[in-house]
Amino acid sequence: MNEQSAPVGTVASHVGGHIHPPPDSFVKKYIFSLDHKVIAVQYFITGGLFFILAGLLAELMRAQLMGPNNHVLSVETYNEAYSVHGSAMVWLVIIPLLTGGFGNLVMPLQIGARDVAFPWLNMLSFWLFPPAGILLFASFLFGAPQAGWTEYPPISLQMPFGTSLWCLAIFLIGVSATITGLNFLVTIVKMRAPGMTYTRMPLFVWATGTTALLSMIATANLSAALAGLFIERTFGVPFYNVARGGAPVLWQHVFWFYSHPAVYIMILPAFGIVSEIIPTFVRRPIFGYKMIAYSSAAIGLLSFMVWAHHMFTSGLAHWEQLLFMALTMAIAIPTGIKIFSWVATLWGGKIRLDTPLLFVLGFLSTFTFGGITGIMLASVPADIHEHGTYFVVAHLHYVLFGGSVFGIFAGLYYWWPKMTGRLLDERLGKIHFWLMFTAFNATFLPMHWIGLLGMPRRVATYDPVYAGTNEFVSISAFVLGFSFLIFLYNALRSARHGEIAGPNPWGARTLEWMIPSPAPYYNFKDIPIVLSGPYEYGAPLPYANIRQDLATVPVH
Amino acid sequence: MAKALHVPSDAEYADVSSQRLLGFLFFLISDCVIFGDFIFSYLYLRDVAPVWPPPGIERPYLYLAAVNSMVLFGSGATMHYAMEGIRRDRRRQFVAFILATIVLGSLFLAGQAYEYTHLHDTWAGSTFGASFFTLTGLHGFHVLIGVIYLITVFIQTLRGTYTQQRHFGLTAATLYWHFVDVIWVALFFLFYIY
Repeated sequence: MNEQSAPVGTVASHVGGHIHPPPDSFVKKYIFSLDHKVIAVQYFITGGLFFILAGLLAELMRAQLMGPNNHVLSVETYNEAYSVHGSAMVWLVIIPLLTGGFGNLVMPLQIGARDVAFPWLNMLSFWLFPPAGILLFASFLFGAPQAGWTEYPPISLQMPFGTSLWCLAIFLIGVSATITGLNFLVTIVKMRAPGMTYTRMPLFVWATGTTALLSMIATANLSAALAGLFIERTFGVPFYNVARGGAPVLWQHVFWFYSHPAVYIMILPAFGIVSEIIPTFVRRPIFGYKMIAYSSAAIGLLSFMVWAHHMFTSGLAHWEQLLFMALTMAIAIPTGIKIFSWVATLWGGKIRLDTPLLFVLGFLSTFTFGGITGIMLASVPADIHEHGTYFVVAHLHYVLFGGSVFGIFAGLYYWWPKMTGRLLDERLGKIHFWLMFTAFNATFLPMHWIGLLGMPRRVATYDPVYAGTNEFVSISAFVLGFSFLIFLYNALRSARHGEIAGPNPWGARTLEWMIPSPAPYYNFKDIPIVLSGPYEYGAPLPYANIRQDLATVPVH
Repeated sequence: MAKALHVPSDAEYADVSSQRLLGFLFFLISDCVIFGDFIFSYLYLRDVAPVWPPPGIERPYLYLAAVNSMVLFGSGATMHYAMEGIRRDRRRQFVAFILATIVLGSLFLAGQAYEYTHLHDTWAGSTFGASFFTLTGLHGFHVLIGVIYLITVFIQTLRGTYTQQRHFGLTAATLYWHFVDVIWVALFFLFYIY
């Protein structure tokens, strides 16, 4: 009957329907687990701990910058703090939380699979992550890196042993990300439920798939670049040392050939989260499904062709600068398509301002702002002046914090019930949002103008003319740090007092909401059959072979 | 408590091996990127150098490398025939050709060891040495892993792990071996001819 309308040619990867019994020992269940849902929680907890550590480093830096010539940190420690803060936030927080956390938690459920393609590799990926973080923070004991998260030679070649630990740490996390990318890509290509064509996949799956491809290719390149830096530091093999015929700019090329795609590894899953939350809380089909899906792919492709826009002051030829400027600006097109599609979905919808949607609206405003300053930085004449100033710091925090971190919190509030079976408190969630949103803008908005006035980044002291603004920024940063404690309290509180969520508290339509919360060990008792796309609000649910009573919309 | 061993049906086996095949191809792509990074570095350093090769550097010996290349390409051919042996269920053909592949692979490694010990250039000596030893060393490491891999699947086959219908491990080994061959074509051109 219903199976008739499922198109032929999609992969039915569940022949036999063999369900393994859940593991019985504590270690197999919670530590060396093969279950994608448990691994996701492991990523969330580990990444959360690193978020606190890296956040504390940021607060230390702001304490130093409270006054123009403070002595809270020595100059060297300040350099170490911003280098480790940046590295940790990128590699130990945002990338693992978005890919390892949300990708693992949601993607297999959304495609109707019982797990990822290679559960054992998934476990390996996770277990490369805590050692990487420990190595990175242990570098403080041996003289942590001081050349920023980008570790440009020659400084990175001259620093003590801590920088070698940094290389090892990022290498491990790179291997982990490559493996996860490979694993997710095979899962998405081969393990979708019958009937789920590519254009019926939830948009989060599109985003995760594109991210997986970028992780797989770009991160392999990072591993090679890091190996080069490591062997140069350890064995004196000349790659980047100009005194011995090497080229520091070569490092910039190979580093940014990874790190620009990495920007999209850090934002595409957040785009996916936004695309899931908006239709659910507006109760109407997402506007321009295909445009959003294909623009993810377009962003992924373009992201490999723009790396040198980070190097406009590194002595590129004129034509190279112009080429990379044009290509970089071209990325605004697929990104703009997404923003307009989301706004068009909101337009005229029946908007429920629950916490997940609040964070999405916060994301839309701050990320768009960061995108606009991105266009400013992409134009060579402006970048020559803004490069190396606080304007860049402001821009990158608007996209990585205003974009990725707001996306992470939106996703946490949204999928928390699926992960734990309990809802987070709405009132606390709203307080968290407004405090975080206000403090975020108070912290990073003023950095734009002190940057335009010429305050250089990555320096422990500054000209007293910037003193007032910096004091304001520091106080806002402390408030911003405090706002996360509200979330932490809310999360811990929900374990005991959280309202029982039920299978589908938001009335969403993607597959993960069609099963109990938290999802059972085997995810789907019977593999569902997908009959059409997931966002057709108003139409009957597009799934066969699934218990419909689980999916009823609650009165909320 | 004895767990019942789940023996996959033919359909399940086909399903799982198609996933593994795709995963293995993705692995090879990311491996290719790693070689690509160092090849880019080599070309970049060569481009910015005022003179190439750097003063005092002797180019590695072309004829030895040419002979060694023939050995490696020959091993690609023998690997192909070994695989044909499994596909047609000709056990003796498989055993003969995979043993030949293992021997040829080991010969290549021996040739490389000879070359390394007789070159005056060193890894840390110049930008040429840096790229040459990193890339050919990485490739040699791949060959070494490949030889170990081939010995493993050979023993597994003798024990009956692989059959005419079910031999994903052998397919992966063949792919890997051809991949290592193809990388060598690029390296041979870059270091001995270009």
